Amino acid sequence: MPGTITSERVDGALAGIEHRWLVHRDGLPALELDLAGLAHALRALKERAGFESATFVTAVDRLPRVPRFELVHQLFSLAHNERVRLHTRLADGENAPSCTQLWPGAAYMERECYDMFGIRFEGHVGLKRLLMPEEFEHHPLRKDFPHQGIEPDRLYREWDKKRRAEWHPEAAR
Amino acid sequence: MGALKPVPETREDGFFATRIDALINWGRKNSLWPMPLGLSCCGIELMAMLGPKFDLARFGAEAARFSPRQCDLLVVAGTLTWKMAAAARLVYDQMPEPKWVIAMGVCSSTGGMYDSYAVVQGVDSILPVDVYVPGCPPRPDAVIDAILKLQTKIERERPLARILAGPGVSDERGTGARTYQPNDAVRKSVYDLHPHDPRARKG
Repeated sequence: MPGTITSERVDGALAGIEHRWLVHRDGLPALELDLAGLAHALRALKERAGFESATFVTAVDRLPRVPRFELVHQLFSLAHNERVRLHTRLADGENAPSCTQLWPGAAYMERECYDMFGIRFEGHVGLKRLLMPEEFEHHPLRKDFPHQGIEPDRLYREWDKKRRAEWHPEAAR
Repeated sequence: MGALKPVPETREDGFFATRIDALINWGRKNSLWPMPLGLSCCGIELMAMLGPKFDLARFGAEAARFSPRQCDLLVVAGTLTWKMAAAARLVYDQMPEPKWVIAMGVCSSTGGMYDSYAVVQGVDSILPVDVYVPGCPPRPDAVIDAILKLQTKIERERPLARILAGPGVSDERGTGARTYQPNDAVRKSVYDLHPHDPRARKG
């Protein structure tokens, strides 16, 4: 929140990077950034403002809105016992900068983000699906994905068909 | 003896006459070996059921084995996801016949509250289920009741008819008659045989 000790340190670290403070109901210091400035901002917050831990990296799909995605980083400073949250708007198909160089623990969260929303992270060395099978075609947490799925049994059926063809090649048509 | 029903007048000579179906079924139903496929919270109730308090040993079904090769009762206890479905089907295929399936809890019976892209909406879409147990999770008593119901079902089977009919005539359950009508996908999978099954090598 503007005017607090946290915000002064964050503002100091983010000097030269365009950012805007948000007022959220939970009272956590939150700011909005442009995608272009995100990588610099994350590095500055770690190195200059002392946020040595990334609590989570996630995304929100606000479908009718353009751009549709909102990438959320929440950072935590152990030394100051303070948190800050970063919101970045992102269109479908745009790549986000990976923060795994700064916080290796964010790798799983970025993988989950890719799995669920289809947001690709530039600089992530092992960006593959975390929860869904690797052959899965959709990104389930997108708002335009039906919650009952699109052919949810497809992968099982394919596996079953292949297996039966191996058992009884003459029966497989 | 219960279901064996010996012919009374032959009993005094140290032997009795009965139907061989009754004898086989009597042995099968009182020595079920469950394969616990504990996928979520139902697995905890399943452990309670096997433990001393509820004591499934009273019904001869306490010998849980973690190799499907040694089991004849698959208890699907919990939420089956599509990612897990192939593994569950493999476990079922590796069990030697005759084999039975209990869908324990609403998740494995119908998908339960998980009306989701990730969850199998009832394990009967990949496995032939004998007894469904409602509850979230069901109490151990309910599952014991399911095992008793399965025992009465086994009593009605005709294993000898299956042996005499030869391969390919009766269904894989050995009942000699279709006792259930699953959907098309399951009915197809029920009749497909494992390559190790002797009936698969007939042609």
